[in-house]
Amino acid sequence: MARPCRFVRWFCRCAGDRTNEAGRSPNSVILLLLTAAMLSLVSASSIAATAPADGRVHVAYWEKWAGTEEAATRTVIDAFNRSQNRITVEYFLQSPIDRKTLVAVAGGDPPDVAGLWIHNVASFADAEALTPLDPYIEADGFTKQQWLDRYYPVYARAVQHSGRVYAGIATPAMIALHWNKTLFREAGMDPERPPRTLAELNEFAKRLTKRDSQTGALLQVGFLPQEPGWWPWIFCRWFGGQVFDGKSITLATDPHNIAAMEWVAGYSKTLGRDAVTSFASGFAGQMASPQSGFFSGKVAMIFQGVWYNNYIRQYKPGLDYGVAPAWPQAVDGIDDFAMAEADMLVIPRGARHPREAWEFIKYMNSHNQQAQSREELQGMELMCYLQQKNSALRDWSPFFTNHHPHPHIDVFRKLSASPHAVAVPDVGIWTECEREILAAFADVRLLRATPQDALAAAQRRLDKSWTRHRRSLERHGQLLPAGVATAP
Amino acid sequence: MTSRERRQLFAGIGFTSLWIVGLSAFTAYPVLASLYYSFCDYSILKEPVWCGLENYSQLFTDDLFWLSLRNTLFYAGLSVPLGTIVSLSLALLLNSDVRGKPFFRVIFYLPSIVPVVASSMLWLWILNGQVGLLNWIIAPVLNAFGATPPAWLVDPTWAKPALIIMSLWGTGNAMIIYLAGLQNVPKELYEAAEIDGASGLQRFRHVTLPMLAPVVYFNVIMALIGSLQVFTQAFIMSAAAGGGTGTGTDGFPARSTLFYTMHLFATAFYDLRMGYASAMAYVLFILIAVLTWSATKLSRERMSHVQ
Amino acid sequence: MKARTPFTRPVIYALLGLASLAFLTPFLWLISSSLKPLEQAMALPPTLLPHAYYAAIDGSRSEVTIDFTLQRGGIVADATAGEQAGSRVFLTPAQALARAKELQGAHRVSTGWVHVTEKRDAAEAGNGNPRWDIVPPQAIDSTIRFRWKNYPEALASLGGSAESSDGSGSVSFWVFLGNTLIVCLLGVVGTVFSNAIIAYGFARLKWRGRDAFFALTLATLMVPFPVLMVPLYGVFRELHWIGTLLPLWVPAFFGSAFNIFLMRQFFLSIPEELSEAARIDGSSEWRIFWRIVLPLSKPVLAVAALFHFLYAWNDFMGPFLYLTRKETFTLSIALQNYQSQNGGVQWHYLMAASTVTILPVVVLFFFAQKTFIQGIATTGTKG
Repeated sequence: MARPCRFVRWFCRCAGDRTNEAGRSPNSVILLLLTAAMLSLVSASSIAATAPADGRVHVAYWEKWAGTEEAATRTVIDAFNRSQNRITVEYFLQSPIDRKTLVAVAGGDPPDVAGLWIHNVASFADAEALTPLDPYIEADGFTKQQWLDRYYPVYARAVQHSGRVYAGIATPAMIALHWNKTLFREAGMDPERPPRTLAELNEFAKRLTKRDSQTGALLQVGFLPQEPGWWPWIFCRWFGGQVFDGKSITLATDPHNIAAMEWVAGYSKTLGRDAVTSFASGFAGQMASPQSGFFSGKVAMIFQGVWYNNYIRQYKPGLDYGVAPAWPQAVDGIDDFAMAEADMLVIPRGARHPREAWEFIKYMNSHNQQAQSREELQGMELMCYLQQKNSALRDWSPFFTNHHPHPHIDVFRKLSASPHAVAVPDVGIWTECEREILAAFADVRLLRATPQDALAAAQRRLDKSWTRHRRSLERHGQLLPAGVATAP
Repeated sequence: MTSRERRQLFAGIGFTSLWIVGLSAFTAYPVLASLYYSFCDYSILKEPVWCGLENYSQLFTDDLFWLSLRNTLFYAGLSVPLGTIVSLSLALLLNSDVRGKPFFRVIFYLPSIVPVVASSMLWLWILNGQVGLLNWIIAPVLNAFGATPPAWLVDPTWAKPALIIMSLWGTGNAMIIYLAGLQNVPKELYEAAEIDGASGLQRFRHVTLPMLAPVVYFNVIMALIGSLQVFTQAFIMSAAAGGGTGTGTDGFPARSTLFYTMHLFATAFYDLRMGYASAMAYVLFILIAVLTWSATKLSRERMSHVQ
Repeated sequence: MKARTPFTRPVIYALLGLASLAFLTPFLWLISSSLKPLEQAMALPPTLLPHAYYAAIDGSRSEVTIDFTLQRGGIVADATAGEQAGSRVFLTPAQALARAKELQGAHRVSTGWVHVTEKRDAAEAGNGNPRWDIVPPQAIDSTIRFRWKNYPEALASLGGSAESSDGSGSVSFWVFLGNTLIVCLLGVVGTVFSNAIIAYGFARLKWRGRDAFFALTLATLMVPFPVLMVPLYGVFRELHWIGTLLPLWVPAFFGSAFNIFLMRQFFLSIPEELSEAARIDGSSEWRIFWRIVLPLSKPVLAVAALFHFLYAWNDFMGPFLYLTRKETFTLSIALQNYQSQNGGVQWHYLMAASTVTILPVVVLFFFAQKTFIQGIATTGTKG
């Protein structure tokens, strides 16, 4: 690297205030230009020359996780790479994965497989950023129904949009109510009995709330709707409402949604809005930290995913907690409501090796139903065993069922099988819906607007967005009269 | 055109040819393409389809457009004057006869060279409502008056002021330019003022400020253009303060930090409405042009008045 | 020399001191956090200096982490039977009494005592739950200890963990540094030469259309980046530059309005007689530019170079939009790797890597500042 050194010397000379060395500059200038040309060649060629010569197809897989999830995924990739001799999958960490993927599709250089969020599928599909998987499924001898029937219903719905399969699942997760048994004991409550109904949840929350006797400041709360606050829309679904009914946005027109937001506002009113803001500002944004509300013993009950146990082991080992076998009943007759999350695997449009990418997605969405040992686990079960999560595929193998490392896995298995489990609404303008719901949720929570007003404002904007979105699909020939696109 | 003129023209074009290429490819084409897209239904992944004034008519009835504009003007309206005061004051202090100038200069310039990811994270801690450094300092003072410190980034009222405070920390670039400007003020003027018996304050008012006026004008315009495009810090801070709720484009908390460019970015790269985003970008362009023009007019009047 | 500000010197020092404190405190925090273990970097309330804490757990003195202070007293014991067998529990006296049979080694702890956990290395973290106890605050002793290890660890993990068997997918810190240097240095080269040539055309040559073209050039300063963002992306896509470093430095070779303006101002201040004399001698314009104007312009070239270097070093938006593969990342976006999307930030590593990232520019600025300021001064930023 002699040439950059020359540049540095030149720069220092310039910076060193000796301005009278006029004679020498042209030569060094030409050298510099040569250096520039050299370096640009180097940088260009180092990028182009990445095709390895081992005779295998190299599948570029972009994923969002670092740390334990990355380690687990790499182990499964290794297993896949060893299981056949044609394809090598390579893991690339990308952040933020969805924008990166989109930009890469637009740039004409996408990865072969991208690990998107569950809520990306509909909007990416409508944007024509994804390759439909139906032809690959059929080419492998499955009917679509056969392929989908292998999943629990909620996950089978999540991999589809507009009647086509657009994704496989990387890791599934169910969300459940976690409670701190120690705090229950302190409050003189039965530490083994989580709330079973909404009324009980509210009552438990009240009993688990503690204030400073002098200032009235909050020391501990039983439950806060904004912890973690990632899915405010789930409260609407939990209360029996719909955000999108398949034809139009129903945020403000469905009375259940308003009831859900009334319930959210109730917590701010009971606890005191400013008291909550001040109390929660100490741990906002810090799920993976001993200071988070639940880990520090300041919040007694929280809705969190199956992954939470991994964080508990890391940040609050020995925390005495339970996982409720069902969401507290909020609608008469539905005692098995549940929420599903998932990381998805898609083939971006324009991927160089879609067939090989499909092979990998297929492996990740299969398992060995007879597995009797850790070594016999395959695909999704291997991934979910390593990440200590539930599987999205029915018919768990004996080993996965009996030797799963998550202490509460049975609860999560039951939740995933629930016919009332829901995932993120399947609507092409979800990014806008989510922002609107988050804003409405914040307005309601901070008592800046009544639930009706907040949802009505969101609805007004979303109605326009939905009309515009459909018009746009129509303009680009993606919308058939029934509202379901079928032809490629 | 005489042959001499023609030769001169060729020489001029020859020397500026790189810029003619650069301007065309990296500015003029994008500006014109943006103008075209702003009249199209365009998602970057699909072909643009002409839709006339639809984007613009949607824009003016979009209450988030107006909200983001209000937020941005609030931010610019406070951060530009405050930033000018802070950077000019620092430059004046450093222009006096003190020891250790190089160190002070580095200290004041330092914040503007910290990677924005790192400085955002740093300020996330400083502005933490319960245990942040800032509240740790101001809480005793406020408590003495019976007030409590704000929760900053998670309180819709205080999130914008928090970002403004953070922006003041990064005014080093402007300070350097003021410092350079101050070096250009002829010493004789000060000496003359002193002989006339002018006090320090009078010298500042009647010598420094008028001489510095063009530099102030330049800095204010650059700061204004920059602050109307405020994005990266707000994007990172809002995402982090929201604790992973949303994407950083929802202006957490309660859209109080939904700035113009953030709304634009969200429509362009999240909702894939590039046409609409282009229309928004054009409106911003016009806004900046109008503000710059008025500032120029104002400063011309002022400067001719002073002279 | 007299002070040119309306204050006396002690006041000036006091104000400077105060301002420095305000500007430096975040940095002190940055550096102190970069030398702390993770739990202290995140601790609330924060401490200025990193400490190592020691306390007795089960009678043996070990290094511990301070978790929290008890709000109320109780009993700590080891459960020998029941659901919690084998783990340590914290109970109220009444609960302890009820379960007395299945408890061992019970001892009373009081309000204000501190929950401590045995500190372990990452390597030991997998072996069961670490031991913990609740001890009186006076039983904890501490020493100041800087965790220098953060620096090598942060740089090693910047490119992602190398946990797979072959270590593929992890990118070295040096790759990021190399990318950043390529972008910065090539950009600087491009900025300096293209803008000098272009500004010469505007400043030292008279030609028809020049002033209108220059006015147009200045007008482009007002174009907000979002106007350019989408089509510019399209331009780079057509050139097949997306995912490479090219969009980040090639445009520098084609001039920029701000630098053209800066250099034009400087060139205008060089006496015209020098050029005239050379023209009479029959020198070409290029030769005049190359041999006479350029050598006299080093201050402004240095300013443009430094401005561009600092800009390119910290540019976030460009790399964010145009780079897609980690091998091509620059430091400014590689830093985002510590801020993973699952909500966890490795603060201590982020701070250490940030310190490393800003160090070169701090040094560069420190040594170049005088030239830098004089350079700006000589251009006289008068519209």
